Amino acid sequence: MNAYYAGTLLVYAAVDIIACLALNLQFGVSGIVNFSFIVFQSVGAYTAAVLSMPPDTANGAYQFYIGGYQLPFPIPWIGGAVAGGLLAIPVGLVVLRKLRADYQAISLLVLSVIANSVIMNARTFLNGSAGIAQVPGPFADQVDPLSDGYQLLYVGLAVPCVLLVWLVAARIVNSPFGRSLRAMREHELAATAIGKNPVQLKMTIFIVGGIIAGLSGAILVGYIAVWAPSEWLYPETIILFAAVIVGGRGNNIGAMLGALLVPVGFFEVTRLIPATIGGWTPPPNLIPAMEWVAIGLLIIGFLWFRPEGVRPEQRRVFAGAPVREEVDHAGNP
Amino acid sequence: MNKTQPSVSHRFNRFGLISSVAAILVLAACGGSTATSGGLGSGPLLVGVLAPFSGADASFGPRYLAGCYAASLSINGAGGIGGRQVSCQQFDTKGEPADAVPAANSMIAGNSNLMGVVGCTSDEASTVVPILDRSHIPMFCMTGQSEFNKSTAKYFHRLVPADSFDAYAMIGSALFGPGHAPYKSVALVFGDDIGSQTFVGPAVAALTKLGVTIAINQAIKLGAASYRTEVAKMLLTKPDVILTETIGSAGTYMKEVKQQNGGKVIPFIGTSATIDPVWFKQVRDAIGLPDFLANYQAVDLKLTLSGSGYDEFVTQLTAADTKFGGSNALTYKGKSPTVHLYDGIIMTALAMVAANSADPTVYNPKIIDIANGVAGATVVSTFKEGVDALKAGKTIRYVGAAGENNFNQYNNSQQGYNLVTMDKDGNEVVLGSLTQAQTQQIIDAGGGA
Amino acid sequence: MELYVAALGFGLISASVIAIAAVGFTMQFGIANMINLAYGEVMIVCAYVALYVNQRGVSVWASMIAAALAGAVLSFVLNRFLYAPFQRKGTNLIGMVIISLAASLILANILLPVVGYDTSSYEVDQGPLLRWYGLVLTTAQIAIIFVAAILMLAVHGLLRYTRLGKAMRATAANPTLARNCGIPTQRVIDLVWLLTGALCGVAGVVAGMNSENFAVASGAAYLITIIAAAVLGGAGQPYGAMIGALIIGIVTELSAAAIAPEYKEVVAFAILVAVMVLRPQGLLARRGALAAAG
Repeated sequence: MNAYYAGTLLVYAAVDIIACLALNLQFGVSGIVNFSFIVFQSVGAYTAAVLSMPPDTANGAYQFYIGGYQLPFPIPWIGGAVAGGLLAIPVGLVVLRKLRADYQAISLLVLSVIANSVIMNARTFLNGSAGIAQVPGPFADQVDPLSDGYQLLYVGLAVPCVLLVWLVAARIVNSPFGRSLRAMREHELAATAIGKNPVQLKMTIFIVGGIIAGLSGAILVGYIAVWAPSEWLYPETIILFAAVIVGGRGNNIGAMLGALLVPVGFFEVTRLIPATIGGWTPPPNLIPAMEWVAIGLLIIGFLWFRPEGVRPEQRRVFAGAPVREEVDHAGNP
Repeated sequence: MNKTQPSVSHRFNRFGLISSVAAILVLAACGGSTATSGGLGSGPLLVGVLAPFSGADASFGPRYLAGCYAASLSINGAGGIGGRQVSCQQFDTKGEPADAVPAANSMIAGNSNLMGVVGCTSDEASTVVPILDRSHIPMFCMTGQSEFNKSTAKYFHRLVPADSFDAYAMIGSALFGPGHAPYKSVALVFGDDIGSQTFVGPAVAALTKLGVTIAINQAIKLGAASYRTEVAKMLLTKPDVILTETIGSAGTYMKEVKQQNGGKVIPFIGTSATIDPVWFKQVRDAIGLPDFLANYQAVDLKLTLSGSGYDEFVTQLTAADTKFGGSNALTYKGKSPTVHLYDGIIMTALAMVAANSADPTVYNPKIIDIANGVAGATVVSTFKEGVDALKAGKTIRYVGAAGENNFNQYNNSQQGYNLVTMDKDGNEVVLGSLTQAQTQQIIDAGGGA
Repeated sequence: MELYVAALGFGLISASVIAIAAVGFTMQFGIANMINLAYGEVMIVCAYVALYVNQRGVSVWASMIAAALAGAVLSFVLNRFLYAPFQRKGTNLIGMVIISLAASLILANILLPVVGYDTSSYEVDQGPLLRWYGLVLTTAQIAIIFVAAILMLAVHGLLRYTRLGKAMRATAANPTLARNCGIPTQRVIDLVWLLTGALCGVAGVVAGMNSENFAVASGAAYLITIIAAAVLGGAGQPYGAMIGALIIGIVTELSAAAIAPEYKEVVAFAILVAVMVLRPQGLLARRGALAAAG
C-alpha cells in the first residue's frame, strides 16, 4: 500500500523535474516564454497512449481514438518525445520568427487554449473531454501494474530518464551553444551582431524542449493510465513557470529544486490551515479555496523576497584579468 | 461551474502531494492495515469522500460529503459499527485524473481505518477505481461512463445510471411520457463535457430506428458567453422538444430559446443529472418559474424518496447542517447523489456488522447481499433497524432512503426509470415510469447498452 | 440567409461586451505596461458587487455604476499595493504576468467562499422584443450596444481631445521622456488604473447580463476572449482592441452559424493566430503604442 504512494510521489517528482528542466532550457536559459508548454507534455502523453493501446474497437468500444498500435516499451516513450519535438516545429515557425517576445507569450497562451478546445470537441480523435483511459504502462503485460513490484519498476524506468535529461540539459547549458542562447536572451540584437542567428537558436531549443516535454508526458500517462483535456489546461503551464522561477531560472539544479520545493512549500503552507476553527467546521469548499489563497501569497512573497530563486543562475565571468591570447596580425591564434 | 473553463487549481495539487522523501519513509515505517479478519475491531472508522472540492466541478464534493455526514450521524447515533464511530473526510481530486491519483494514494496510505470511499465522478473514476479496487476498499461511484457498465472491479459499486441508459430513458420520456402526444421531431442539444459525450451516439441510433426525426443534433461549447446563433439555428428546424443536459450553460441557452421564440419555451427533457438544485435555479432564473414548470421533464432512476428510510436521511441531513458552516445542508435532500451515497455508506456499515468483520475482503461481498436481499430477508430501512434485525439473527435487505437497490453481476444497480419533473422548490416530483417493455424497445433500437 | 443576418446582429452584441473589457485591458498594457491576468477576476468581483446592489431592488443599469466604482477602486489598489512596487523593483514583464496570475488566484478564492460556486443572474427588465429578418433582440441587448458605443466614444474623446489623454499617450510612448517633459507619469498611471478599472467593472456587469448566468469561474473564460481581442488589434491599442472585439464577436457567431458551434471559439482564436503570422504587430500596431487613429 505504501509502496504505491511512494511510487506515486517519486514518479510525479520525476515527471515534474523533467518538465521543469525542459522549461528551464526554453525560458530560463533562452528567454522563450513558452506559455503553451503543457501542450507539448500533452502531445507526448497522447502519442504514448495511442502507441501503447489496442485499437479503440477493443475493450467494448466505450472510447474512440485514432491509432492503437500496441507497441512495446520503450517505443511509446520515444514516440511521445518525438511527437513533442515534431509539434515544436510548426508552432515554432509560426510564433518564433517574427513576433515580439510579449506577443510570443500571448500567442502561445492562446494556442494552448485553442488546442485544448479542439481536442475536447473532436470526440472521435482522442476521445474528447473524457480523455483516453486504460492506457497500459510499460511491461504491463508482464508485471501486474497493481503490484508493489511494478511501482519499483516504474520508478526504475523514470529515474534514468531524469538523469538522461539532466545530462542533456547540463551539456547544453555549458556548451558554446548554451552561451549563444544566453547571449540571445540577454541581448538579442547584440547576439545577432556577432553572427548568431536568433531564429535558428530559438527553433533548436524550442524543439529540444518539446522533445523533453513530450517525454515527461509519456512517463506520466503510462503511470496514471488516463489522459484528458482537464489535465492540460493553460494554468498548468503557469505553475511550472512558478516552479522554475522559485528554483532559480537559468540554473538546472535550481529548476529541479523548484520542481521539488514549490510543492513542499505549498504542502506545508496548506497544512497550516486548521480543519475546524474553535469548534466551527468551515463549509467544505472553504479549505481548498483558502489553500489557493495561501499559494497565491506564497508566489508573491517569493518573488518579492527572493526573485532570483533559491538557486540563482551562476554569474559566468572569467576569473581574474581578461584572458590574453597571442594573436598575430592576421588574426590567427 | 463549467467543465470547460480553465481553473487554476489543477497543477498545484499534483505537486502538492509530492512531499519529501522523509514523508514516504515515515509512512512506510508506520504502515500496514489494522483491519483484522475477525471481529469489528476498535477505534474510529473513516469514510473517504474522494471527489472534486475545487476546480471546475467543485460543487460535486459538498453534496457527497453531505450524504456522508448524514450517514455517519445515523450510524453513530445507533451506537456505531460494533461501537466504532464513523467519520467523514474530504479528499480533493480537483476534478482531474492526474491530481486524483496522489489524492487517492495519500488517502489510502494515511488512513488504515478506511471502511469505504464515496465520490469518484467521471472526472477521476478511470484512474481511482483501479487504485481503490487494488487496495480492497469498497466504493460507491458517481460516474455514468460506459466503461463501468461491465466493470470487473469487485469493490466498485454504482447506484447511478450509465449515461447511455439515461439517453434511452430520455427518448422514452419523449415517446411515452405523460401529458403530451409522442414527440415527432427532436432537437439534441448537448455540451462538450464528459457526461454529454456518451448520450448522443445511442440517442441518435435509437431515434433513427424508432422513426423519430432528429431536427438537429447540436454540440455546443459549454461555458461560451452566449448561444444566440446556436439557438437561432436550432429554432429554424422547429423541433417539438429539446433533449438536453448542458450543465452550467442551460440557463444561458434556454433564456435565448425563450427570447427568440417570441417568449414561448419549447418543452425540454433533461438527463438525470439535471435534477439538481443548481441546474434548477439557473434555468428557473433564466425562463421564469411558470415556464420552467410547464415545460421541463426529466428522467431519473426509480427513487422513492419517502418512507422511514428517507425520513431518517432527512433528519440526519438536517442535523449535519452545522458541519456545512451553517449553510443549508437540506438543499441536498432531493439530490440523488446525496441520497445514493448515504445509502451506499449505510449498506457498507450493515455489511460490516453482518459479516462481523472490519476486513473488506470479508464484508465487501455482503454489501450486495444486503442491497439485493436473499430469499426470506427482513426488509430494513435504517442502520438501526438493520443492526437490531442482525442481532436477532435475521438476514436483512436494506431498502433505504432512495428505495430498493438491485445490483447486477457488474455491481451496477439499475432498477428502471421514473419520468419526473421538479416542483417550485426544485424537489423531484415523479410523474410516471417507463415499463420494462418500453425501455427494452428503446435499448434494442439503440444497439444495446 | 436569415440565420447569417441574425448571427451578424448577435455578433454585434458579443462585440460590444468584449470591446468594453478589451479596451480597459489593452490600456493597462499600453500605458501601465502590465499584462494583467487578474482582469477577468476583477470583472467577476464587480459583477457580484452589482448583483448585491441589484438584489436590493436597484435596476441593473444603476448597479453598473456601483460596479464601475468597485472596479476603479480594486484596480487602483491592486496596482498601488501589488503591481507598482514590483515594477519599481525591476520585475520583468513575465514576472509581472505570474504575479498577476497569483493575484487572480487570491481574488477568485476569496470571492468563492463569499458567493459560492453556483451561478447567479441579474434581475433585468428585458423590454420589448425587436425583430428584423431572423434577428431577434431585446431592448436590454440594444442598450448594451449603446453603452459600449458611448464608452468607446468617451475613450476616444479622452485620448484625442483632453490633456490627460495626451499625457497618457505620452506616457505610453516613452515614460522616461514623458516624465522629463514634466508629465506627472505616476499620477497619470494612477488615473489609468482608475479609468480602466471602471471599464472593467462595467464590463463585468455587461458580460453577466449577456450570458444570463455567471459564476466565479466565468472570469477565466472572459479573460481569454479579452486577450484575444486586445492582441488581434495590436496589444496596447485601444482602437485596435475595438476592432479586435468586433472581429472576434462577429466571427464567433458567424462560425456558429456556418460551421459547428462547438468550434466557434476555436475559429475566432485561429483568426488571431493567422493575423499574428501575417501581421505580427497586430492590426493597428504600425501607429505606435496608443496613437490616436487618424
